[in-house]
Amino acid sequence: MLCNAPEAVTKLFFREAIARGIREEMRRDDKVILLGQDVESFGGSYKEFVGLYEEFGSARVRNTPVAEAAMVGLGVGAAAAGMRPLVSITYMDFLLLGLDPLVNYAAKVRYKTGGQISAPVVVKVTAGAKGQGVAHSQCVEAWLMGVPGLKVVAPSTPADAYGLIKSALRDDGPVVFVDHKRLFPAAGEVLTDEQSVPIGKAIIRRRGTDVTIVTHSYMASVAAKSAERLAADGVSCEIVDLRSLAPLDVATVCESVARTGALLTLEEGQTICGVGAEVTARVREEMDVSRVARVGALAAPVSFNPVLERACLPDPERVVQSVRRLLALR
Amino acid sequence: MDSIGLLRSMLLIRTFENVFARRRDHGFQLLSSGEEAVAVGLCAALTAEDQLLTSGRSIGFALARGLDPGLVMAELLGKSAGPCRGKGGRGHLAQPSAGFFGAHAVVGGNLTIAAGVALATQLQGRATTVVCVFGDGACGSGALHETLNFAALWRLPLVLVCNNNQYSVSTPRSQALAPQLLSDLAKPFGIPSATIDGTDVVVVRDAVKDFGDRARSGQGPSFLECVSYRFASHSTATRETRGVEEISALKQHCPILRHIARLQAEGILTADVLACLESEVEDAVARAGSFADAAPYPERSEVLSDVM
Amino acid sequence: MIYKLVVPGPVEDVEEVRVLEWHGSVGRVFSAGELVVELETHKAIIEVRTAQPGILRGILCAAGDWQRIGEPLAVLSDNPNEPVPTVAGELVSWLVEFEIT
Repeated sequence: MLCNAPEAVTKLFFREAIARGIREEMRRDDKVILLGQDVESFGGSYKEFVGLYEEFGSARVRNTPVAEAAMVGLGVGAAAAGMRPLVSITYMDFLLLGLDPLVNYAAKVRYKTGGQISAPVVVKVTAGAKGQGVAHSQCVEAWLMGVPGLKVVAPSTPADAYGLIKSALRDDGPVVFVDHKRLFPAAGEVLTDEQSVPIGKAIIRRRGTDVTIVTHSYMASVAAKSAERLAADGVSCEIVDLRSLAPLDVATVCESVARTGALLTLEEGQTICGVGAEVTARVREEMDVSRVARVGALAAPVSFNPVLERACLPDPERVVQSVRRLLALR
Repeated sequence: MDSIGLLRSMLLIRTFENVFARRRDHGFQLLSSGEEAVAVGLCAALTAEDQLLTSGRSIGFALARGLDPGLVMAELLGKSAGPCRGKGGRGHLAQPSAGFFGAHAVVGGNLTIAAGVALATQLQGRATTVVCVFGDGACGSGALHETLNFAALWRLPLVLVCNNNQYSVSTPRSQALAPQLLSDLAKPFGIPSATIDGTDVVVVRDAVKDFGDRARSGQGPSFLECVSYRFASHSTATRETRGVEEISALKQHCPILRHIARLQAEGILTADVLACLESEVEDAVARAGSFADAAPYPERSEVLSDVM
Repeated sequence: MIYKLVVPGPVEDVEEVRVLEWHGSVGRVFSAGELVVELETHKAIIEVRTAQPGILRGILCAAGDWQRIGEPLAVLSDNPNEPVPTVAGELVSWLVEFEIT
């Protein structure tokens, strides 16, 4: 029997994992370019592009004015004409300004031209609440997952950020890559060898038997903390990290729910019409499961106010209560 | 293309649209009677490798760019023989292999896209130009100003052509836009601009050639306003809002009659030649109709093709 | 006396750091106010300066290694010949100042 040596890993900050993935793809294919605010020597708002300008120069790494509609539109148009742009939008809230070229053109161009034109563009956005106020805190990936023709990915670890940015840049697109403000402080292990993470595949982060928690992005760490607390009370949680929202890996979720018999979805975006609404509906179409619950932000804007932001968003306390209620535990 | 060719091209558009609009199944169309000189003059100034993007008023430009009339009609009718397999229609007509990157039906929606195509052109080191046509209606859009800014900053090989037919559906230019001269919109960005008579096909061709050559030689973007006259209502589904007298007056500006008069004055257009051209064009449109009628619709299963 | 140099904090949002560069090797004598080590966080560099003199006796985390806030990076002593224990756990922390750049 062969003894597999563990693969060599390197520990990287989340920002470094992103930079590494982009750098590898830019070295591999000179059609990959980067457009965004403060991406040249400033290296990006989270330093996630550090080193790219110095290595690839001003033709391929370009600062743009603050003009999200045109930033996305130029990226989409350049993709349609043969390039592979990465457009960086600093806050997911501002992607709303660029939805016309993304949704009305990029997501539809392959279909509307009968396959003559496609738009291999990656739009990278940073979502999430961190005390910056109602227009700098949103998680609206649920709005995007239903757009036909649009792929949406959301890594929760440096390894997945690295692997998914690589896959996104090789995809025929368009792809929205959603990271999160609160993911940047985290460091994590990444394989030393080049490796992509496939789009459309969820991953089981924690094995368990009593409930399946389906989550993505920063909420994966809230799920992990919740699982630890519940374990102390004898409740065993399985955590499925979706990684991709469109296409959605319903099969992995169903396989897990078939074993646990209970499903709880957890997201930072609002519960109403959220990711969990789609996940729970799809699972119920495939199988019989009566114990289903969704946890997400309350139906209110997410204020900068520390008390109100905390009150609005899910935290381990709320998740633990929801699981206990779902499993009818006292 | 020679002068007779310019005339043939304008006659083709006029005849095609007239015949098509008489069909019961013509669907939702934006027609370009009165504006043929803009389409034909512009396309006469393009090389085969240049790329053209337009608004939803696309039929004249597609034909002027050289797309086969049968394929265009098939696309308008939703037949799978059309270049977009019948899935784009007039609003999204495209054939990039023929230098027609395509129409887009969102007003102003193709502007930033065209700038992106120009960026790719520049990065790929090609000595070609990208031309984007839009109406006066798009000039109030923020997208135009963002595009002008990017084009100027990055010296993009982009010719922005505003086909000012002086109405946005029912709204006259003066009610929608503060500037009198739409070419002034480019001035704050330091982009060369001009306003010309869009009913003179030769003037249009020469202006687009100049601006196109600037772009092809790396001298950056430009903005050309072509003043034209829309003979019909905004669309086949929109009622006419202008009075009989106004319409009768604007039909004095017919670009086809104007070019005919020029060629007759130059002695190169006899009655026979004109009759021959008209007959050729009618035959071409008839053949297009036969082809499109015989072509099948897509299979229902194609509803899910080419989505991702 | 023997001291441990720990990763200073609290630093907002930072749980762990990566050692960027040591400004001296084992045996180096530091006087108060000198730069000892630079630590990398997810968004900035922490410059750690001495607030008391001491002699660097052992580096526990080399450049490129990771360590959590409050955990030991190195061992120092007042005098060059004091014997150094093998575990840093019970030691008093060496006083430092730190600046985030």
